[in-house]
Amino acid sequence: MKTNPLQFRPEFTRRDALKGLTLGAGATLLSPFLAQLAAHAAGSPSAIRHRVVIVMQSNGLRPSFITPVGHKRKDDGKGGSIAREVVEIPLADQQLPAALEPLTPFKDRLALIQGLSGRVALGDHSGNHGALGCYSASKVLGQTIDSALADALPAVFPHVLLGLAGDTGSEAMNYAHSAVAANKPLPTLCSPDLAFRSLFGSVDGGGKGPFDRQTHLLEFMADDVKRARTALAPEERLKLDRYVEAFESLHQRQAQIAAMQEVIKRNAPQLGEKRTTTTSSLILEAQFEIAAAALIAGLTNVVTLTSGSGGQRFGKYPELGAQDLHGLGHGGSIAGKTNEESFIVLHQLHTRLIASLARKLATIPEGNGTMLDHTTILFLSDSGDGHHPQLRTWPMVLLGNLGGRLKVGGRYLEFPGYGLPNHRTIGSLYNTFLHAAGQPRAKFGLDDIALKDVKQGMPLPELLA
Amino acid sequence: MQPARLPYASSLAGLFLCACIICAPAAPATTASFVATLRPFLAEHCVKCHGPEKPKGDVRLDSLTGDLAKEGELWTTVRDQIRDGLMPPKKEKQPDAALSRRVVATLTQALPKPQTAEQFASDQLPNKGNLIPHDLLFAQPAGEVTPPAGRLWRLNSDSYLGLVSSVSRARMDGLVKPFTIIPERGLQDYAALYSMDEPTTEILLRNAATIVERQTAHDFKDGKLTGKNDSIRDFVALMDAAKPPTPEQVAAVVKQQFTLAIGRVPGAEEVARYQSFYETCARDGDRPAAVRTVLQAVLLGADAVFRSERGGAADGKGRRMLAPNELAVALSLALGNKRLEPLTAAAAKGELITKEQIATRLRAILDTPDKRLDTSRLLAFFQQYFEYHRAPEIFKEERFPFPEKASEYALRRGNWPKNDQTLVGSIHHAANLVADTDRLVQRVLAEDKDVLRQLLTTDLMFVNLRFKEDKQTRQPVPVPAAELNPNNHRGIVGPHYVYGLATWPAAQPVKASAEQPRLGVLMQPAWLVAHSTNFENDPVRRGRWIRERLLGQTVPDLPIGVVAQVADEPHRAFRDRLQVTREAKCWKCHQWMDELGLPFEQFTHYGVFQKAELVVDAEATANHVDKNGKPLGKVFTTTKLNTTGEVAHTNDPQLDGPVKDAYELVRRLADSTRVRQVFVRHAFRYFMGRNESLADARTLQEADRAYVASGGSFKALVIALLTSDSFLYRSSPTTTAQSK
Repeated sequence: MKTNPLQFRPEFTRRDALKGLTLGAGATLLSPFLAQLAAHAAGSPSAIRHRVVIVMQSNGLRPSFITPVGHKRKDDGKGGSIAREVVEIPLADQQLPAALEPLTPFKDRLALIQGLSGRVALGDHSGNHGALGCYSASKVLGQTIDSALADALPAVFPHVLLGLAGDTGSEAMNYAHSAVAANKPLPTLCSPDLAFRSLFGSVDGGGKGPFDRQTHLLEFMADDVKRARTALAPEERLKLDRYVEAFESLHQRQAQIAAMQEVIKRNAPQLGEKRTTTTSSLILEAQFEIAAAALIAGLTNVVTLTSGSGGQRFGKYPELGAQDLHGLGHGGSIAGKTNEESFIVLHQLHTRLIASLARKLATIPEGNGTMLDHTTILFLSDSGDGHHPQLRTWPMVLLGNLGGRLKVGGRYLEFPGYGLPNHRTIGSLYNTFLHAAGQPRAKFGLDDIALKDVKQGMPLPELLA
Repeated sequence: MQPARLPYASSLAGLFLCACIICAPAAPATTASFVATLRPFLAEHCVKCHGPEKPKGDVRLDSLTGDLAKEGELWTTVRDQIRDGLMPPKKEKQPDAALSRRVVATLTQALPKPQTAEQFASDQLPNKGNLIPHDLLFAQPAGEVTPPAGRLWRLNSDSYLGLVSSVSRARMDGLVKPFTIIPERGLQDYAALYSMDEPTTEILLRNAATIVERQTAHDFKDGKLTGKNDSIRDFVALMDAAKPPTPEQVAAVVKQQFTLAIGRVPGAEEVARYQSFYETCARDGDRPAAVRTVLQAVLLGADAVFRSERGGAADGKGRRMLAPNELAVALSLALGNKRLEPLTAAAAKGELITKEQIATRLRAILDTPDKRLDTSRLLAFFQQYFEYHRAPEIFKEERFPFPEKASEYALRRGNWPKNDQTLVGSIHHAANLVADTDRLVQRVLAEDKDVLRQLLTTDLMFVNLRFKEDKQTRQPVPVPAAELNPNNHRGIVGPHYVYGLATWPAAQPVKASAEQPRLGVLMQPAWLVAHSTNFENDPVRRGRWIRERLLGQTVPDLPIGVVAQVADEPHRAFRDRLQVTREAKCWKCHQWMDELGLPFEQFTHYGVFQKAELVVDAEATANHVDKNGKPLGKVFTTTKLNTTGEVAHTNDPQLDGPVKDAYELVRRLADSTRVRQVFVRHAFRYFMGRNESLADARTLQEADRAYVASGGSFKALVIALLTSDSFLYRSSPTTTAQSK
């Protein structure tokens, strides 16, 4: 029987992680991350952390939107590549396409990647979990790449997921894009207020008294829920175990956060009214600010930022005149603009925020360089190459080389076309990240069965340093 | 093994897929038991069909070694098929029952055990319910129900807020919905599917703080405490920092909070723990804050966020009836999302003990519409069962043309212009269509006679009864009763057109016309739209719905990697374009769906009745060019409509056979005993929050009898289910579970 590539990762619960943590940290409760942070503060080069940020926009990112202005890209009639070999164009002399224009200051850190297919995740308007998992859009079949990277790059908050809900206002969180394992989707916090409280709540008023009471409450609840486990069959106990784990994990984090109060206080974002705004673009702005602050404070090394909630829940931007993103996908437009210009407005909203995040990371010294030097940011759409995607190419934009582990440096790369020899899939790119992050896998994701004689899910030597 | 009935054989592929995904790390191999028990069994009963030559379903069982570390997934499937009596097929030689049990037991012991709540849940998904063959549940008189084990059922967001509303005096501002529901088709709220995660717990913590803040809100003036609006007097009384509460006062507020949030009084040991917790929190001297923390803790307890269905004391048969407070919550949340006061009161008075008492209370609630009593889950059942409420999830162009006029226009000039109002038939507003069908269901429920048949065959319709477009926001808003007459009705453009009416009818419901007949929910535009794609009809989805929800059979999910696409040939009728599914590799699944869905080609994907199908005239389009040869757009023509279909593979002579159109199909389905029983099975799942098992056969049979005896009363069906042993009783957990 074939081995299931989604099953490489053994079942790993947070409780296991906590046990390991407690044992490793000894009596001081100073976690390895904090030790690392302390070492980092002391300027130790071994303390350098690596970070991955994934930004995923709804409603497609057309191939033309990541193609340099001077390059005349030809496709196979369905968006896919026609190249037979890997085509590489240095970006140095190229003008970035309008959608990516805000990233121009970082041109020498970019890789624009074309031609990787992802038809295994073909869905109606979104690959959903398959977009980051490299599997079917209709089920949560395994761990997504962002969660796998969170395992590889641990931190107090192993994985921060922030987003803009498809249905702005009514959704505190969604479970639309990421998963820690099969049938275990991860929640994305869609309210900046919730996200702020979760990450920076410890410095949000209060003091020792409230902090201690919260600690007591978490301890009491873990104990209280444990007591409720009696007279229940094992599978029912598991439900309560998850609840106990949640309290224990929050309790554990309280202790870690307590040790980081100063650095958290120094870096907590000043969001003002953006914290409770209902304006989509401001929500996204706030979420990016929270993400930047969490990375800089050392609270996390992996952030997933999404707009939309998968499927046809694209979100909407009335403040930009983009009420109906579905209509936009069908040729509609923002008043006074063409359809293409309308899409560019929304892409630029995202790429401006990415540029702003990169600028912030570039201002923080780390090792011999800056935080940005040790980071990579991936920008893609959960709907691949369009509103109704073909996924014969899944346009990807990479910013940053993850501490020199990725060959990014100002390149436009086009991989061979769908079905041709040497064609590659998105699973290969994701596995490239895992190799770069120090947790290589033989392969990542499920195979597209229509692709014969194509190596799927193995890392890309073209991108691995 | 030669499959007896294809649904189950083809479901094998689906099972494999699931097994691949859900298996935990495999247990050690059991080579010895394999040689002794399993290999001879396989050789005699399985390998004939699943051997080296043309193995059925591409499944080979001859080459298995018994190494469960490598073969665990396949063995799980083998075990389940034997256990559920699905294999070997009935026409083949049947294994000795004792031997089958031994094989199942050997495998169950050796196979990896589920490790997480999700793994337990994945084979209990609602769409797996039909895997139990219908005949095993209904063909023989059933023995006594074996109650399921005690369980917890996490509240859903609606019931959480519903219960919280009685704690927070209906002040819901500032509270966040903590729970989400699986995005599956059909029924969604099953007890096995949900547990807690960290972000959810964080939201619960914040909600608890917000609620308690409100319960204890006060002003402190001139040394006097005054509670603010919606605060609770006894709680506020403990907010004076200068007056430390006595242990009795702490116990009293804990008891009060328990009663509000959980509906029961805590035991002495529980109260003592909360008192001790108060002392811990009060160590820093801020006693009011310590009281608030204790009050929050009650709102976060397992019994406040899970429905507890452990059962009370065991009877002589080892069965535990739900304790009165558990029962009051279980019944309340079966019918609605709030605690039903008559049930809570009856439980407190010890009047919710016998089935007759419970039935009487339920009958009183169901027979006496009272807005204070929430019974909203009854309508929600029909929404989730029929899934017409998903219509708004399907995107369609808002303005759509009269097909006949578009055709004329197209013949003259090409594509129809979207802004030409003379061509617009109606503005599509899916929410309106859903409201229409909701209203139809409610009417059938109000009459409560022959409910399923009425829902499948009524020729009554409601048409945009309550909504109009607001000129400012262009959103639909309720139409005041005074405006509901044809002279001043200003609804969305031509909502009646979809239903085949020339004008908007003031008197409703209205009968469908003889020229454009329409029967039941499956011919309501909301259902047709919900089971269509953005641009076309979807006979596959419609057929699947009928196969699963009315015939009670299973269709595997679309295999991974298969891209489902209909031929892009707009000059052909949709039925002809769907021919691609007739290829053998597709047809093995599509034979369960397509022929059941194709009769609904009677309607367009907007749900409009059509006599002929509009298609592109390929030749005319090719000739429709300007003087420079530039294409001027598509030219349309019509093609003859074929609405035939077939019911097959049910092994039920009352059902199987060709149909000439959708009307014949739904009438035949409505007449079927099996369809009625499958409806009962779905009602069971909805109200029990789980799939039926063979041990529930008697409950299902009695519910079906109650429904028939009452002339098709849905209320009678609900009462039968909610007073059944399956609902009322739990078994004790196994000794192994208790010893852990």
